[in-house]
Amino acid sequence: MATAQPIEPDVGFLKQVMALGAHDAKKCVQCATCTSVCTLSTAETGFPRKQMLLTQWGQREQLLSDPAPWLCFYCGECSKECLRKANPGETMMALRRYLTSQYDWTGLSRLMYRSAAWELGILGVVATVIVLLFTLPRNFGFGLLSQAGPQALSSVMLNKFAPVETVHLADTTLALLLGFFLLTNAARMFRRLTRDDGIPLGTYIRYLPTLALHLFTQARWKGCAAGDAIKNWVRHLLLASGYMLMFTLVVIFLPWFQVPNDRLHWTSFLGYYATAVLLVGSGWMILDRARKNGEMYRFSHLSDWLFPTLLLLTAATGILVNILRVQDLPMPTYVMYMIHLAIAVPMLVVEVPFGKWAHLLYRPVAIYVEAVRRDALARGA
Amino acid sequence: MSKRVGVYICSGCSIGESLDLDRLARVAHEECKAPVCRVHPFLCGEEGLATIRKDVADQAVDALVIAACSPRMKTAAFTLDPRMPMDRVNLREHVAWAHPPKDEDSQALAEDYLRMGIVKAEKSEPLEPLANGISRTILVVGGGVAGIHAARAAADAGYDVVLVEKERELGGRLAHVELDFPTRAPYTELEETGLAAEIRKVGAHPKVQVRMLTRVVRTEGQPGAFAVTLESQGKQGTVTVGSIVVATGWRPYDPTRLGHLGYGKSPNVVTSDQFDAMIAAGAPVRPSDGKPAESVLFIQCAGSRDQNHLPYCSAVCCMKTLEQADRIHRRDAATKVYIIYRDIVTPGQSERYYARVQNHPATFLLKGDVAGVRNHGDKMAVEVKNTLLGEHVEVPADVVVLATGFVPNAPGPIETRNPADAPGGASGAQAQGQTGNGEAVAGKPWEPEPESILNLTYRQGPELPICRDGFPGSNFICFPYETLRTGIYTAGAVHAPMDGLTAAEDAAGAAMKAVQCVEMISRGQAVHPRAGDLSYPSFFLQRCTQCKRCTVECPFGAIDEDEKGTPKFNPNRCRRCGVCMGACPERIISFKNYSVDMIAGMIKAIEVPDEDEEKPRVLVFMCENDAYPALDMIGMKRRSYDPSVRVIPLRCLGSLNVVWIADALSRGIDGVMLIGCKYGEDYQCHFAKGSEIASRRLENVKETLQRLQLESERVEVLQLSLDEYAQLPETIDAFVDRVRELGPNPYKGF
Repeated sequence: MATAQPIEPDVGFLKQVMALGAHDAKKCVQCATCTSVCTLSTAETGFPRKQMLLTQWGQREQLLSDPAPWLCFYCGECSKECLRKANPGETMMALRRYLTSQYDWTGLSRLMYRSAAWELGILGVVATVIVLLFTLPRNFGFGLLSQAGPQALSSVMLNKFAPVETVHLADTTLALLLGFFLLTNAARMFRRLTRDDGIPLGTYIRYLPTLALHLFTQARWKGCAAGDAIKNWVRHLLLASGYMLMFTLVVIFLPWFQVPNDRLHWTSFLGYYATAVLLVGSGWMILDRARKNGEMYRFSHLSDWLFPTLLLLTAATGILVNILRVQDLPMPTYVMYMIHLAIAVPMLVVEVPFGKWAHLLYRPVAIYVEAVRRDALARGA
Repeated sequence: MSKRVGVYICSGCSIGESLDLDRLARVAHEECKAPVCRVHPFLCGEEGLATIRKDVADQAVDALVIAACSPRMKTAAFTLDPRMPMDRVNLREHVAWAHPPKDEDSQALAEDYLRMGIVKAEKSEPLEPLANGISRTILVVGGGVAGIHAARAAADAGYDVVLVEKERELGGRLAHVELDFPTRAPYTELEETGLAAEIRKVGAHPKVQVRMLTRVVRTEGQPGAFAVTLESQGKQGTVTVGSIVVATGWRPYDPTRLGHLGYGKSPNVVTSDQFDAMIAAGAPVRPSDGKPAESVLFIQCAGSRDQNHLPYCSAVCCMKTLEQADRIHRRDAATKVYIIYRDIVTPGQSERYYARVQNHPATFLLKGDVAGVRNHGDKMAVEVKNTLLGEHVEVPADVVVLATGFVPNAPGPIETRNPADAPGGASGAQAQGQTGNGEAVAGKPWEPEPESILNLTYRQGPELPICRDGFPGSNFICFPYETLRTGIYTAGAVHAPMDGLTAAEDAAGAAMKAVQCVEMISRGQAVHPRAGDLSYPSFFLQRCTQCKRCTVECPFGAIDEDEKGTPKFNPNRCRRCGVCMGACPERIISFKNYSVDMIAGMIKAIEVPDEDEEKPRVLVFMCENDAYPALDMIGMKRRSYDPSVRVIPLRCLGSLNVVWIADALSRGIDGVMLIGCKYGEDYQCHFAKGSEIASRRLENVKETLQRLQLESERVEVLQLSLDEYAQLPETIDAFVDRVRELGPNPYKGF
């Protein structure tokens, strides 16, 4: 007879996940209504029912190597139908918050998810550093504002005030640094999910297109059970496209994007598109969340507010910089530029590798691993 | 003809369009010589009834035959005088609605039914109700929640009550329980039982006489006149009561039989009861070493829903376990509480309490099958299979609590049915010794079965017959509160597993049955299920051979024996089913309106076609409780069946006297069908054993058939429950077809 697998709940883990949103997970009676209404769940994955039980029993180790929390796009049908009001959708969300904090090896994510003070504190510190970079006299550091020179104050000379080479160097460095954290975190997740699964590397290589597909399209969202799944997917896709586009413009095309004065480069049109999409998309999401419009917005963690809010502010300040620049108001342009960076940089620093933004990579990795697992299972059977 | 039979034929409800009523009236007038025969278009209407009433008042008639709808319809309208001989001929459901109109076979069927009805009315005598000087006092045995509420309910209704309790105080098992399950919104917190106030009220009630430290030592007599001997501290006295409510409660299932769940392996395995005692004293500890328990694991259905132990759900253990988990967490929220269950049963609003207790971070519920419990260092380890956490998992815990089930506190075979289940050498005796190991769990041990509750002096035995699963009672759905002893009703946990609140409600119901019983008996009426029936059997004892069949077969133990072995009938115990009449080989038991001779006369009234007519005749005896209304429903649905059948309703198939089958076959009837209720553990027979007895009697009929050199296939008995009514036409037609294949009865024409 096979030996029994010992079970010991991790109450600390359970309490953390409950604090992150799974307040009602213990009420689940395993009726499986949630799994029945979920159109993304399969016989193999069985979410969210299975994750409800694993959560109830504090099975941290099992959940750390489970891709299922990321396979859910939170349409909320499960929570709507739940007879026990155990909110499985929000439990899956809480698990994603917890997993985000766990896959990060620096420990910063853990601190920020556990405490609002840490999260706001770190955002504040990074913002302060940016402001100081601009405002401190040159002797104490960069002193970008004092570097601009007197003629920059009579007419907007953004490239004088913030020389495009310097900014380009800074944002490339930042992008590489954040990319490094994000990729190492995602690699940690990948290792955790695939540890000892004995699936040949070839399978993983064959499925790489799946990873790319879901990274760029979030195509699976379309399959969600809720009636407005397509709408939500399109909205998210547009937002993501604006975000990626803007990121690319700033990191790679900045020399052309941040053109002197009123000359238009083709990148400007992309910039306007991205700005519009970001403003409308994030604003819409914030409104929905504020109105609790839909299951997925019924509960909100601080991290759910911060990401779209910072995004909205970044886009808004960015376009304001442009407006002020075109109006040729030198000082307001420079101040707005500083504010823009003081919002954008902390957002990127905190959200990309340590916060909600990281789902950009975690979710496609999970879908990828699940596809590989399914393939291996089919072959095994 | 000694009686002036009035025949009243209704032509309404399409009877007139279907049948030739002139010919029918001629059958009554000319053939049966009925002095009065009237056809009316709307017999149950005021004018129709007035016609009948006038004939009765003019003394033109002294027996009635109402040929109209089914006897189950318009009963109040047509019961003009409950004492007067009367029969209802079912022309509507059994003829006009079920068979083609203006058809010779339909007409022949209607004429036969009319002939049979007239014979029945002729052979009935006016009923004279039993005169009874009776006691209306109600005895309640057991002073727990159920007993207290039964006493209160009966006393509030104005009846004197004697409440007997064997202990020193009232309250039973809940006497010292301060908090019990939630009964009020929001149903999430334990509540005070309020039992102390109830005890005070019943104690102060002017109609209730409470006898503490008292037991029933003997119960003689019959409803309305039970002589009950009570013993209190060595002194005996007798009270006379009209009816009895038994509310002796429950006791926990013997855990020494639960060796497979670890009982006896370690003092750290305790029962729900023992755990209650432990947490009443303080925080839970490990009985083996007295250290605080960091984890407690509950095993639900310990013995319940297990064919080797208690086949039923004990109903309360789930709530009990949730309550104990709640109490543990009130003391220390960090104690891990595991609950291993197969299903959680928290009916109604209790679900809210379940959700609340479940939502505690340190409560862990797991559905699965317990595969074993073993010692694991100084802890216990419980193996669980078929869980959603894994096929085969093991949960360690300091204390294992077995949520043991309910056993009725009444003498019964439940625990002796199975041998003790004690693997690993943990015999019951050892286990019992070990529970005393830790003082904290000493608690009370499981209790032995009581030797006697009522000690009835009935010929069929001293206690209430067991219905199923060891519970004295009756079919729980059809006949709640009833037992197989008339005038004795069970209430509370002795009746079925239930919690305090349910027991209180159950007790009120049983008390009302007890009240109803004394009232109906005082009027000479039968109680449930032939409520209101004024007839009763009489015994022509000069011809009795003392064969004892009636005394043995009576489902209600109504017939005792005197010193000489002659049947001694107790009319108030009788439910008028006629099983004794069917049992008697000497045919000396008869009712004034139901007798062997009467049914034989009805059989004789059936016109049997000659052999060359090639029309079979099939007689169907139908239980009037399920089969007969099922056939009514076939008529209402306008479905048809072979018109060669002639149906005779019986009070119970158990009243079937086999002589009727011989009568029918020797008259040339080609086949006989007997349709009764379902019997067995989930019986539906209104008289508990009637249809089963009839099936047994039929075995003997086979010999009779052989003697007559007839095929045994000509007689068939089957069980039908009302919900299977739709299959009745096919069943009847198939039997008639089989009879046709056998060919005509060779006795035709003799």
